[in-house]
Amino acid sequence: MLEIKNLHVKIADEETEILRGIDLALSKGEVHAIMGPNGSGKSTLAYVLAGKDDYEITAGSVTWNGEDITQMSPDERAAKGVFLAFQYPIEIPGVATMTFLRTSLNAIRKARGEEELSTPEFMRVVRERAEELKVSSDKLKRPLNVGFSGGEKKRQEILQMSLLEPTLCVLDETDSGLDIDALKIVAEGVNALRGPARAMLVITHYQRLLNYIVPDKVHVLSNGKIVRTGGKELALELEKSGYAEFGEAAA
Amino acid sequence: MSVEVLKTKAEQGLADQYTAARSGLPGAGNGWAEGLREAAWETYSSAGLPHRRIEEWKYTDLRALLRDAYPPAPALAEALTGEDVLAALGPVLAGLDCHRLVIVNGQFRLELSDAGGLEGKGEVFSLGDALGDPSHWLKQTLAQVNPPLNDTVVALNTALMTGGVAMRIADKAELGKPVHIVHMLTSGEAMSVTTRNVVVVGAGAKVTLLESYVSHGSAPAQRNAVTELVAGDGSQVHHIKFQNENPETAHLTSWMTRLGADVSYDAFQFSLGAAIARNQIFVAFAGEGSRSHISGAVLARGRQHNDTTMVVDHGVPGCESREFNKLVLDGSARGIVQCKAIVRKDAQKTDGHQMARALMLSDGAEFDSKPELEIFADDVVCGHGSTSGQVDAEQMFYLRARGIPEPQAKALLVAAFIGEVIEKVENESMREAFLKLTESWLAGEGEGG
Ligand SMILES: Nc1ncnc2c1ncn2[C@@H]1O[C@H](COP(=O)(O)OP(=O)(O)OP(=O)(O)O)[C@@H](O)[C@H]1O
Ligand SMILES: [Mg+2]
Repeated sequence: MLEIKNLHVKIADEETEILRGIDLALSKGEVHAIMGPNGSGKSTLAYVLAGKDDYEITAGSVTWNGEDITQMSPDERAAKGVFLAFQYPIEIPGVATMTFLRTSLNAIRKARGEEELSTPEFMRVVRERAEELKVSSDKLKRPLNVGFSGGEKKRQEILQMSLLEPTLCVLDETDSGLDIDALKIVAEGVNALRGPARAMLVITHYQRLLNYIVPDKVHVLSNGKIVRTGGKELALELEKSGYAEFGEAAA
Repeated sequence: MSVEVLKTKAEQGLADQYTAARSGLPGAGNGWAEGLREAAWETYSSAGLPHRRIEEWKYTDLRALLRDAYPPAPALAEALTGEDVLAALGPVLAGLDCHRLVIVNGQFRLELSDAGGLEGKGEVFSLGDALGDPSHWLKQTLAQVNPPLNDTVVALNTALMTGGVAMRIADKAELGKPVHIVHMLTSGEAMSVTTRNVVVVGAGAKVTLLESYVSHGSAPAQRNAVTELVAGDGSQVHHIKFQNENPETAHLTSWMTRLGADVSYDAFQFSLGAAIARNQIFVAFAGEGSRSHISGAVLARGRQHNDTTMVVDHGVPGCESREFNKLVLDGSARGIVQCKAIVRKDAQKTDGHQMARALMLSDGAEFDSKPELEIFADDVVCGHGSTSGQVDAEQMFYLRARGIPEPQAKALLVAAFIGEVIEKVENESMREAFLKLTESWLAGEGEGG
């Protein structure tokens, strides 16, 4: 389980706190949604979980399966099953998508004490997963994310997730930029990974995604704090009323 | 009135060598060859080794860098075998399907070469032998292909050259395989070697020429190599250099190239080795409608010093030039790119661009870039740029968030950076070989560590 306690985060080299005391407990088998206005700190939380070093934890703790992960490097966390689907996936010219996928998968398998996949085996798995997510094979021949549309990049993220089979999935606005059909495909991909061994944190602005990926809990993040937690119906309520009421509360 | 300049130890050594060797150098007894050497020695000795107050050499001060002049390499001191040549080339290049011409310690070695008669489409012979009995075309070519003014390193080469390859490709000939000139140094004592190649590509011919510079052992060496290349009208030339000499080597090479009309010239230089490397490229457009695309990849670490200096001279209208260099610098390595494009008054419609990019892997590394445009025509498009930076932190984080450990993530990004320029090599086997060599360099192998 993921346990976040009284987490305070600021940007390294700066003073302003972005996360101002987050408490959150997410058990395996559960899906929690995080909603909240722009700039409230959702991506910051996601990055801090993945280990981006632009941020500094000034107080609090984060444990995953009982282990403190805050001192681990991003790759160590990935090996422990942490996966962040980026809000803005990075383009890497010159690195072939297949080379990347293979290096990533083998690194994680190695860290888990599993054998590396042979080339044909790897090709088979990628092809299979890509087909499920309707990622065309010519996309896999291109350099990583280079020239992909916003929606195509998001699909690549889910493809990576389904290959790496992480146990803590953090999805940062994976739905933005997806057309209606793509949203369904991606949601199916995510749902396929849902299970008792996996915890998911789904960051979104839109209630629509939560029709497909039905959350166990919805948290509202405003100005660096979780200001409300409820069931899936909270998303519907927010859709109607917006965040105005929390703006005040969080100030 | 001239003031006697104090010679450095290396300069004194070179002067002694010339005096001792001149009567025994190839071509001695032939008036033309002797005349060439004398004139070149004059040019050299009036200025001596280049130093930092000579603008073109300000980053590579040979007076300071060369402490001693090593004695000339013994011609046939060591019985080398074909296997030794392949071993020096390394596994990835040894397998290249090519016409191999091997120069050992400054002598063209027929018995180690496999030119296959150039498929009957040209001629190859030993330049050293030819100096004593020069053919008409050699006399019209040697030391006359776009010679740089006042470059004393090239002059020194002409004065002291011991041999190399003289080659002519027939008009319209299309060679099925690349020609690969291997410049090898044997093991043994510290040595100097001065080689010269002359290549004339006939009109409409197509040729890929690879020059490799490798060491067989770890002996300290000073290399001065010049290649003169004439590309006939309508010819297509791919000219590639691979340098992986031992970390005790001072490597000076100069390519002097003259392009006729409608020539397509693609050059690529890949530098991995040597302690000090100066890669000079002089290209002159002598006919309209030609293009010259020169690119380079430098991987340097430790205390390696790598200087690429180019002069591209647009003397006629309607030509296109590109110079694109990428350097990966680690440790306290120093990388230099100087590129001057001259566009003369008549060279209207010139299209010239240059770019140099360095990826700095450490705080101790240094990159100097000096682009220069001398434009005397008014209807031209010219530009230059240069960048230097570190590995992109966002890209690093993305890769590491996918479980890829830091060294491996870094290697992927560096390979991607340098891959962009290696991709310009048209020959697939060479391209693959260079990519593999990059991988092993990144894995910590290679020279200069
Ligand atoms: N690396 C950074 N440097 C400077 N400011 C940052 C950095 N990361 C986040 N911030 C600031 O912290 C605040 C929270 O940003 P964050 O990206 O976490 O918001 P968000 O909730 O994900 O917003 P959105 O809904 O627009 O994606 C913002 O004011 C943002 O400008
Ligand atoms: Mg965000």
